[in-house]
Amino acid sequence: MTTAADVLPSRLGLTPGTRAALVVLLTGALCLALEPVLPWLVKWPDAWTLPATQWVDTVTRWILGWLKPLARAFADLMRYPMDWANLALNATPWPVTIGLITALGWYLGGLRMAALGFLGLSFVLASGYWSESMNTLALVAVSVPLALIVGGAIGLLANEFPRLKPPVQAVLDVMQTVPTFAYLTPLLVLFGFGPVVGLIASAIYAAPPMARNVILGLERVESEIKEAAVMSGAGRLQQLFQVEVPSAASQIMVGVNQCLMAALSMVIIAAVIGGFNDIGWEVLLTMRKAQFGQSLLAGLVIVVFAVVIDRMSGALAIERRRHDPRVVYGVLALAAVLTALFWSRLPDPAEFTLLAPVAEAVDTGLGEFTAANGDWLAGVKNGAMFYVLLPLRIGLDQAVLPFTWGFAWTPGMSWAVFAAGAALCLILIWRGRVTAGLMVLIGAGMLETGIADLPWPFVLVGAAALGRIAGGWRLSLLAVGLMLTILLSGLWDRAMLSLYLSGVSVVACAVVGGFFGLWSAVSPMAWRIVQPICDMLQTIPLFVFLIPVLMFFQIGEFSAFLAICAYAVVPMIRYTRHGLVSTPPELMEAAIASGATGWQIMRDVRAPYAAPTILLGLNQTILYAFAMLVIAALIGTTGLGQSIYLALGKADVGLGISAGAAMAILAFLADRMVQGFAEERRRALGL
Amino acid sequence: MTGTTPPAIACQHVWQVFGPNARKALDAALQRTGGDARAAAAQLREQGLIPAVQDATFEVGKGELFVIMGLSGSGKSTIIRCISQLLDATAGEIALDGENIVGASKQRLTQLRREKMGMVFQHFGLFPHMTVAENVAYPLRVQGVAKARRRERAQEVISLVGLEGREDAFPRELSGGQRQRVGIARSLAVNPDIWFLDEPFSALDPLIRRQLQDEFLKIQANLKKSIVFITHDIAEALKLADRIAIMRDGRIVQIGTPADIVLRPADDYVREFSRDVAKGAHARVRSVMRPVSDLPPGPDDPGLRPDMTLDEALAHCMELYQPVPVHDDSGAVIGAVNPVDLAAALQVESE
Repeated sequence: MTTAADVLPSRLGLTPGTRAALVVLLTGALCLALEPVLPWLVKWPDAWTLPATQWVDTVTRWILGWLKPLARAFADLMRYPMDWANLALNATPWPVTIGLITALGWYLGGLRMAALGFLGLSFVLASGYWSESMNTLALVAVSVPLALIVGGAIGLLANEFPRLKPPVQAVLDVMQTVPTFAYLTPLLVLFGFGPVVGLIASAIYAAPPMARNVILGLERVESEIKEAAVMSGAGRLQQLFQVEVPSAASQIMVGVNQCLMAALSMVIIAAVIGGFNDIGWEVLLTMRKAQFGQSLLAGLVIVVFAVVIDRMSGALAIERRRHDPRVVYGVLALAAVLTALFWSRLPDPAEFTLLAPVAEAVDTGLGEFTAANGDWLAGVKNGAMFYVLLPLRIGLDQAVLPFTWGFAWTPGMSWAVFAAGAALCLILIWRGRVTAGLMVLIGAGMLETGIADLPWPFVLVGAAALGRIAGGWRLSLLAVGLMLTILLSGLWDRAMLSLYLSGVSVVACAVVGGFFGLWSAVSPMAWRIVQPICDMLQTIPLFVFLIPVLMFFQIGEFSAFLAICAYAVVPMIRYTRHGLVSTPPELMEAAIASGATGWQIMRDVRAPYAAPTILLGLNQTILYAFAMLVIAALIGTTGLGQSIYLALGKADVGLGISAGAAMAILAFLADRMVQGFAEERRRALGL
Repeated sequence: MTGTTPPAIACQHVWQVFGPNARKALDAALQRTGGDARAAAAQLREQGLIPAVQDATFEVGKGELFVIMGLSGSGKSTIIRCISQLLDATAGEIALDGENIVGASKQRLTQLRREKMGMVFQHFGLFPHMTVAENVAYPLRVQGVAKARRRERAQEVISLVGLEGREDAFPRELSGGQRQRVGIARSLAVNPDIWFLDEPFSALDPLIRRQLQDEFLKIQANLKKSIVFITHDIAEALKLADRIAIMRDGRIVQIGTPADIVLRPADDYVREFSRDVAKGAHARVRSVMRPVSDLPPGPDDPGLRPDMTLDEALAHCMELYQPVPVHDDSGAVIGAVNPVDLAAALQVESE
């Protein structure tokens, strides 16, 4: 039975999406119209915020107070293995260490890995950062086993008790979205200044990937293999450790690899606390002194470690074959003999300054370059700032100033923007694309207002609408609830600033990454160039991205934007390409047989098929952008990242946790919404 | 059939229902319907539960090769997992050599598996990180058998399945047929009395499949295990089985010898299966033989035996119209067959 009421909306094209867009548009328009009368509609009055930050501070300090004696005892306990690792790594003569890594490389991956290990460590030696590197390595060497044990145990328990699995996975999800810096403040209060904080932080940060991969690996063991173990009469522990864990070995090794990389990344980030003479600290120190040559060199040492650790532990997951142990003994013997022979004449690793001239040359070269091209670089930076970033942040109405744009903004111009948006909207509606039209109008409004100055009801309704479309009413309510928490906590303005910077970066990443992904999909040649760059960018610890942008663009929002983009663009490229190249050949053949041209196949077959995958890439890009946003606070962003960083400096637990939570909320909501859209696309394609 | 000794496997009213609170829902449904299995299953389905096995009752004799045949989703894989206790049956009794194993303790089940049961899986279920010999010896390893003894026994079963020389290969280095030989060897390592085979040959190429079927029959002729064999292939069932159970939507619709299934299908569903089967090649003279008193043999004697297939028998009686005698191995007349019955049995049924 169809009534007129049923028919009418569908004839008008009022899909849920359209309706949602309409509601959002009306809310925005209403807020703007009522602004002169009811200013609180746009800007949430400070008087209405709750002292949530202080509450959090009181509560956590109370809890931390309880935990403190325990934590301090644990910290004292951890000092032993750390000292041992430190001593072992620093006291071992460097030829032996190089020999060990080379031998390990050979054993895991043959000649290539051995060469990688040898050259990598030789570079570290030549850089003169040997002892700093060994200090960093010592931290990793203690935190990784800790993370592996904890993560592995969590994974095994979640596998053994299926009822634990959903809560464990939820906690792991949350831990992934909480920014790295946010861990540090409470840990600082708990453990006091010193390297133990970095150790614990990196263990906490590195345990979830291990747990995840253990769960995933055990889940993926073929049911018949598990049944075969049962029918062989194995007890539960025998089944688990003799059959299931070894069968899941490669997935678990992926976990070990991710765990190592996370630990390294966090150990370096933890250097901001200071108190430990490691390589991350060296980067920070030289960066602050604007010695970019040295800074770059130290950064490269970190990259070398990351690459060596990543490739070697990666070989653990991929290669089953191990190489001839006789070569291992040979290499070790050679190293030992060399050390013994030259014992008295073995130079101290700190004396190696082979690369110091290079660093200096980079410094002077950079100085000359920036002097010669300063105008051009400043032009790029200012252009991006004044004509793109700033208008998006505070809106055309405030960003357009005579001394940048050459004219002053008038209310009439605002009306012109709205009118242009409305005209475009009408054209689109007339052509039957109602939702797109409404979105254009909303976009025009946002451009005029600026993301950081958007009226809060508009943001709330927008979040609700997006949640409704992406994941139904539950997500919608969740989005409103969580956003309200931010609003009430008084972190709203900073949250909007974070949203703006990550939003802009994500859009830039989507465009640039989408382009490179598309290009790599159509041209294998391009992929051969892009792939190693992607691999590299993904291996580099977050921290290091800051160095090159600082070198050219100094501290500021634009540098942060570039650093975020450089890091977050990778998943977009990868997933876009992967989605496009994994179109089933039958579909392509059917399209070719129908007489479609290459471009038509791309538009009509491959792109729609790849849409869910590309959306997942976008999702990753968003999470990456949020992760980097906090790190980028080191080189000047406003927003939540800065709050977290400031809180760390003042050991302000309340602010640190609240800002971290707000950041996590934004990341979490973005994640759920994009996942929801991806899921919807996948269902529509019947995948 | 077996007199006083209990059958190797006896299933009584076994149910396997998937879903929340399955046991309670099943009891309630059975009560409402007064024990009518079909109606109870229909009610369970309406509640969103899945009655994968409904009221299965059958026995497997010692040394018998019992085949359960059905299409995918018929519950045949579930039922073998109930008997081997990889799944807890929702209701019913399952007895191995007279011992009810439903609700048996974990320890007892492990012990039974170490002594009495062996299982072969459709996709082999080989441990990827172990060599052929280690895979085969694993059931012994979990019992703590010494390494040398393990290796020795593994060697025996590996030769039994004809894989000598591949002991130190890894599963990934073997072909599908070879992998299933490893699976078979492993299931025989502890010399079990009861042998479960879950579609062991379904994942193999037709040629390899036939080869392994023949070898399997040869092994069984020597070992005389009590076997539950699952398949979806009617030809395989008819070729191997002593008796066949045909399953459909969780119910056993017919249990009988291959000849019964072919000649006297219980319903249209079973008839549909046997339609494409060359009946003459599977049914035996015994199935159409009558006592001599019933049907006195005529003057001709083409020399029929009770275990001849109908095709062979018909070839011998091409031009005969009178009932002919059937002899046993000693030559004594044990019955008579009317050639008209032979021809009638072979007639393809029309709609």
